[in-house]
Amino acid sequence: MPGKNSIVIRLVLVITLSSVAIFVVTLGYNYHQSRTILQSELESNARNLAMSLINKVETQLMAVTKVTEGLARSLETSKLTEQQLLSLLRITVESNPEIYGSFAAFEPYAFNADLRLYAPYYFWKKGKIAFSHLEDSYMDFPYLYWDWYQIPRELGKLEWSEPYFDEGAGNIVMSTCSIPFYNEINGKKQLQGIVGADVSLEALTELVSSVKILRTGYAALLSRNGTILAHPMKDAIMNETFFSIAEARNDPSLRELGKKMIRGETGFIHYQSLAGFMSWMYYTPIPSTGWTLAVVFPETELLENVKKLSMTMAVMGFGGILMLIVAVAYIAKAIIKPLQLLTAATDEIASGNFDVPLPTVHMNDEVGVLTHNFQVMKQSLKEYIKNLTEMTAAKERIQSELRMATQIQVSLLPRTFPPFPEHTEFEIYASMIPAKEVGGDFYDFFFINETNLCFLIADVSDKGVPAALYMMVAKTLLKTEGQRLGEPDKMLTSVNKILAADNDNCMFTTVFCAILDITNGNVRFANAGHNPPLIIDSQGVRYLSPKPGLMLGAMTDTIFVTEHLMLGPEDIFFLYTDGVTEAKNPEDTLYGEERLLNVLQNAPREDLANLIHYINSEVAHHANGAPQSDDITMLAIKMTPHKVCTKDIRKKA
Amino acid sequence: MDLQTKKENNAIVVTISGRLDAVTTPEYEKKIRELIDSGDIYFVVDFDQVDYISSAGLRGLLLMAKLLNAKGGRLCLANVKGNVRSVFGMCGFNTVFKIGNSVAEALAVIA
Repeated sequence: MPGKNSIVIRLVLVITLSSVAIFVVTLGYNYHQSRTILQSELESNARNLAMSLINKVETQLMAVTKVTEGLARSLETSKLTEQQLLSLLRITVESNPEIYGSFAAFEPYAFNADLRLYAPYYFWKKGKIAFSHLEDSYMDFPYLYWDWYQIPRELGKLEWSEPYFDEGAGNIVMSTCSIPFYNEINGKKQLQGIVGADVSLEALTELVSSVKILRTGYAALLSRNGTILAHPMKDAIMNETFFSIAEARNDPSLRELGKKMIRGETGFIHYQSLAGFMSWMYYTPIPSTGWTLAVVFPETELLENVKKLSMTMAVMGFGGILMLIVAVAYIAKAIIKPLQLLTAATDEIASGNFDVPLPTVHMNDEVGVLTHNFQVMKQSLKEYIKNLTEMTAAKERIQSELRMATQIQVSLLPRTFPPFPEHTEFEIYASMIPAKEVGGDFYDFFFINETNLCFLIADVSDKGVPAALYMMVAKTLLKTEGQRLGEPDKMLTSVNKILAADNDNCMFTTVFCAILDITNGNVRFANAGHNPPLIIDSQGVRYLSPKPGLMLGAMTDTIFVTEHLMLGPEDIFFLYTDGVTEAKNPEDTLYGEERLLNVLQNAPREDLANLIHYINSEVAHHANGAPQSDDITMLAIKMTPHKVCTKDIRKKA
Repeated sequence: MDLQTKKENNAIVVTISGRLDAVTTPEYEKKIRELIDSGDIYFVVDFDQVDYISSAGLRGLLLMAKLLNAKGGRLCLANVKGNVRSVFGMCGFNTVFKIGNSVAEALAVIA
C-alpha cells in the first residue's frame, strides 16, 4: 500500500493548505481594509465631534466676550458715576448666566483722583449676587499684578487668562476675559483700566467631561500652556500639565505632541493615551482662548466589532475548510478505491498471473478507461505470451531437429577407422567438422569391386535443410551409380543427369570423385567443379590440376572426363572442401590454398589421422575464435609400401 | 554487396561489388528475377569489383542463366578475374558461361 505519498493524503494536504492560505490572506486583507475604512471614518467622526464641542464652548465664550466688549464700550463712551457703574456690572452678571462674575478694575487714580485703586466686582455666591472690592480682596498681591490685568494691559487687547484659582475674590477655578478700556484726552488714548468677566471653568469642563465616547473614550481640554483642564483623571486637573506628565513618564513623543497642541495645530494621531491604552486622538484648538480640545477613541473598543467579525469569519472559515477536507478526502477515496483495486490486480499481472480478474468499473471516467485498457493489455499480453511460448517451443523443436539432422548427416558418413582393417595396401582417413548450421559437405569411400576403391568428397551449394536433403540424395546416387558404373566420368555424368532434371532451384554439388586400384596405386579421377586436391609425394606437395568440370546438378548435358595418376608408396592424395581454404579469422583473412600447401609440407605424414588433425588444428588456430561458417571436410588416402596380403584378402572377399 | 543496374542498348548491365555469398545472393536473385519478370532478357554481369563468390553465388548465376534460357535471353559475364576467375575455372563455369574481357566486349557478345 502506498504510504505518505498516497494520492488521498497529497490531495487533502494540497487543497487544505491552499484554502487555508487563501482564507488567511482574505481574512487579513478584510481586517486591514476594515481598519482602514474605520480609521478614515473615525477621523471625520472625531473631527465632527470635536467641532461640535468647540462650537458649544465657543458659543459660551463668545457670549462672554461680547458682553465684556459691551461693558468696555460703555465705559469708554460715557463717563459713568459709581452708581451707574455698579448697576451696569450687577445687571451684566444677573442677566448672563454663563458669567460667574464681572468687574471693572481701574488704573491707579483713574476712577477717582482721591482713590488710588478701585475695582468693583459682582459675582455669584451660593445662588445670589455678591459684591466685593477687588482692591481689598487681594491682600498681599494687588490686582494690578494679576495676569488677568497685566496681560491685556500690556497687549492692549482682549485676552482670556490662563485658568486660575481666584483665591480671595471668586474662590473658584476660573478663566477671565479681560479687555482694556480707554478714554480720549485731546485725541490721545489713555488707559483707564481693565473690564472683565469670569467664567467658571467647572461649567466648561462639565460640558467637555459630559461627552462620552464609546465606553472608555473621552474628551479633554488643555490650556494654552498645556495645563489639563478637563480629563477623566480628576487628580491631574489644574495640577498637571501635558509636559509635566511627559516629563514624569519620560516620553519625548508625548512632549512633542504637547508642543504641537499648544502651537494651535490640528491633528489626528494614533498614540498611547494618558490613561494608558492605545487610542486614536483628534485635537484642535479653541480659537478664542487658544486652548486645545482633544477627543480620544480607545482602539480596542473601536476595533472590537471588526475583531468580533473577523473571529466569526475565522471560525466559519475554518469550519468550512474542515468540511472541505472531509469532502476532498471522501471524493479522493472514492476515486482511489478502484485505482487501488486495479493496482492490486496489476500487481498480480506483473507477477505473471494473467487470469486475475480486473475490478469492474461502472463509471466511464479515466479510471474506467484505464481499467478497460488494462483489460485489453492483459488479454493481448496473455495471447502474446501464449504465442511466444508456442513459437519458442516450435523454434526449439526445429533447432533440435536441425541438430538431429546434423547428427544424422554426420552419422551417414563412414566414421570407423581403419574402415577396411583387412586391407593393408592403403590407408584412408577422413573428417568432417560441421558448421553450426546444417551444411552440405560429405565424403564417402566404398569398394566397387575387390580391387577398386571409390573415394569422393563433395560440397553441396548452400546450407540448411535443403542442402542436407540434397546431400543425402547426391550421396546415395553417387554410391549406387559408382557401384553400378565403376568409372568416375560415367558416375558423374549419370548422377548429374538425375540431379539436373527438374532442378528448379539450381542447387548443385561439387564432387571430386576418384577410384583407386589398390593393387597398383593407379587412380582414375573426375572433377565436378570441386577444389583441386593435393598430392604429397617424394617431390613435395603440389596441387593437382584436374580438368574443370561443371558441378553436378547445374546443367543436364555436362560431360566429365576421367584422368589418371599414379600413387607411389607413401604418396598421399589429399582431398578437402572450401571450408578449409575459406576459413576466416576475425580480420576476415581466408586460410587460403597457399597456406594449406605450406602447412602440408610440414605436416606429419606417417599417420593420416594425425595429418588431418594437424590441419584441423592449424585451421582452428588461424580462425582464432571467429565463427566457423562452413563445414570443414578433409579426406586423405595413402598407398602403403608393402602389398603382401592382397591375395589373401582377395580370396576372403 | 552493392548492386547497380543500368540499361545500355536494350541490355541490362549489372554491376556487383563486394561479396556474392550466402548472405547477399538472395538479394541478387530477387533483383534479377524482378528485372527478368519485367521483360529484360539481355544481361551483362560486371564482376570487376567482386572480391569473392561462394557456392551460393554460383547457384545464383546458374539460376539466372536457367531463367534466361527459358525466355530465350542471353547472358554474358565481364571482367571475371582473380579469385573469382579461379573459382569459375575450377567449377567449369568457363565452359557454361560466355565471358567477355570488358563490359563493351560482353555487350557485343549478346548483341
